[in-house]
Amino acid sequence: MIRRVEINYRGVFQKRLAKKIGGDVVRIASQMGKVGFSNGRYSDAPERSGIPSKYFAFVSSDLSEEELEAECGAELDIDQADVSIVLDDTLVKGVEPWAWSGIRPINENLRDGGTLVVVTRRTHEDLLKHIPGKPRGWRLATYEGSQSFSGMWVFRDDFTHERTLGAIAAAAPDVMTIEAVEACLNNRHPNDPTRAEAARRAFDEVVEKMKTVVVGTGVESKEAAIVLPKWFEFGEGTVVAAVPRGFEMRPSGQSRNQQYKRGTTRSQRPIIRFDLCTKCALCWLECPDESFDPVPDGLYDVNYTYCVGCGKCAQVCPVQECIVMIDELEFDDESSPWETFSKDRHAYVTWAEDKKSLGRLIHSYVPGSADPQTVKGERIPPKHG
Amino acid sequence: MANRQSIEYAKIKGVHDVPLEEFYTSGHRTCQGCESAATMRGFIKVAGPRTLVTGSTGCMYVANTSYMTTPWIVPWMHTQLGASGSSAIGMAAGLRALMRKGKIPDEEINTIAHCGDLGGGDMGLSAISGALQTDYDLLIIMNDNESAANTDIQATGLTTFGANTTFTPPGKRIHITQRRWKKNLAGMLAVGHPTCKYVATACATYPTLDYLRKVRRALAVGGPKFLHVYAPCPKGWDYHPRYSHDIGRMGVLSGLFPLFEILEGHVTYTHDARRQREPVEKFLMAQGRFAHLTKDDVRYIQKMVDEMWEEWDVPGVVPTKGSLKT
Repeated sequence: MIRRVEINYRGVFQKRLAKKIGGDVVRIASQMGKVGFSNGRYSDAPERSGIPSKYFAFVSSDLSEEELEAECGAELDIDQADVSIVLDDTLVKGVEPWAWSGIRPINENLRDGGTLVVVTRRTHEDLLKHIPGKPRGWRLATYEGSQSFSGMWVFRDDFTHERTLGAIAAAAPDVMTIEAVEACLNNRHPNDPTRAEAARRAFDEVVEKMKTVVVGTGVESKEAAIVLPKWFEFGEGTVVAAVPRGFEMRPSGQSRNQQYKRGTTRSQRPIIRFDLCTKCALCWLECPDESFDPVPDGLYDVNYTYCVGCGKCAQVCPVQECIVMIDELEFDDESSPWETFSKDRHAYVTWAEDKKSLGRLIHSYVPGSADPQTVKGERIPPKHG
Repeated sequence: MANRQSIEYAKIKGVHDVPLEEFYTSGHRTCQGCESAATMRGFIKVAGPRTLVTGSTGCMYVANTSYMTTPWIVPWMHTQLGASGSSAIGMAAGLRALMRKGKIPDEEINTIAHCGDLGGGDMGLSAISGALQTDYDLLIIMNDNESAANTDIQATGLTTFGANTTFTPPGKRIHITQRRWKKNLAGMLAVGHPTCKYVATACATYPTLDYLRKVRRALAVGGPKFLHVYAPCPKGWDYHPRYSHDIGRMGVLSGLFPLFEILEGHVTYTHDARRQREPVEKFLMAQGRFAHLTKDDVRYIQKMVDEMWEEWDVPGVVPTKGSLKT
């Protein structure tokens, strides 16, 4: 019997966090007399900031270490997760499978009756607006927390690590028990009982907030099932066809790489107040992902299918409140904002201001060094023109 | 070659003179806020469609061919880690031979090679040196993100003193293990290749348009050219991707990364840090890779930067100190 834990995280930002959690699952399970094994997903390396990545932990009470490693060590992706942890709630909009072949639902690899555990401040209903249904029952649990982002070198020790261990214990007591988690944490930090207490609180929260998702609920998956190319469909040698040349002044008028649409990297999206724009073109010029489309009236539309949400446009935009980064879970479509704006300026501006009024997270220079600031922003009246 | 059709480039006076069409397009597996991707996008945007690109192994190679897909619209070829220079020679020589034999029309086609700071500045230095001694029209662009970023951030010869990398982690007893001063690459190549007409440094996005103008200027000059581009890396430098432009600006304004161009032996400073420099501390403290530095370390880096601008014979370019002033 093998129990599988999958940890979904944002590449680089939560790399160390995911690794610490995976490592501790193995450590605690072995302290309970079981055998554990953990690894990162091979195709995520080289890891890039923001790209959905996965870390796995496997626990068995009857296999030997060699047998467990032989069984799980070479797995590229797991398809029968008992627990799937989601360390950033915007990942529920979709993740990437091994070696990319299209966007996949966050709960796709959950086994029947498995549990998806999300760190979030949102409700189950909010999350289920983005998660597709499954043919058999599964469970959704949440524990409260915001994005715990660090970088390569400075780790943000905000107890998300300890709390996630508590959450795993609640979702799958046969992987590890909360008592074993507490014992491990108290042993590691003999003078700091707060860590074990945090794990226990997350455990209680997950137990309380765990709900079985009824079959038939959940949105319909927008993504088609993966069809991998056959061996004879590959080109000769290692030749890859270039993107065909094409450019027109309209939304999505630039030809783009159709095989790799990487909007899942985004945890915030830029919302543009087109009426305030001075047409300085800096957002378009500075965008490292070529996501802005010049349109005939001199404005720059943004293509959310390819935008990765780095926030550079919002940072270089010289106009106050013109480009603002808003949490990705506030949105459920990727259509052209400029088209919406051109159809009804007033309605678009009101909509944009409503989204902006929810507030936004501004990260410090070094993400691991401080909590992101929540900024309310200012309501700017529509500019006529 | 008299009737040869050449490419006419309009001058980039303002941001609205930058061509709208992309030739390195969306859908590449780079980090959020990747300035190296901005470098790729920029050079091919202003070079235009009549360009062949070759790139050596590195972050930008893996990002450009992830999962058997590519963001390139122009022809692009991968070459080995140290081979950007030799690959560029091969491409330019091939084009010349095909044109001489009448197999393709005799018209101008740009050859651009890109490499990273490990591939170009360390491993591929001899190949680049060889390329700069030829008479082929080629441009070598080095993305300097100060690490081997593709394999999770290892120190190279161009990593800033004191930086945290997987090769140089700060220890409890010795807190600085990256003790090498950044290699003065553009200066070395300019001084070492008297017949190379154009060597310049640029930052990917600061000052706005400067990098794009330098690419155009380089393409207009005949023969081999070298461009060293400072490309802040949110992953390895450990800052939030939102600040990519700001980090580059701070690096330039502090004088840590000198911006200059050398056209036929004449040095012009894009940002003359002899006149005004921001303290390096602001730049260093905005990045997690320097989080372990002490006040003394910052003072040492500041002293080295001051020396570069105040005591070098050609500030930022040639590190000799008044030795010839007898």
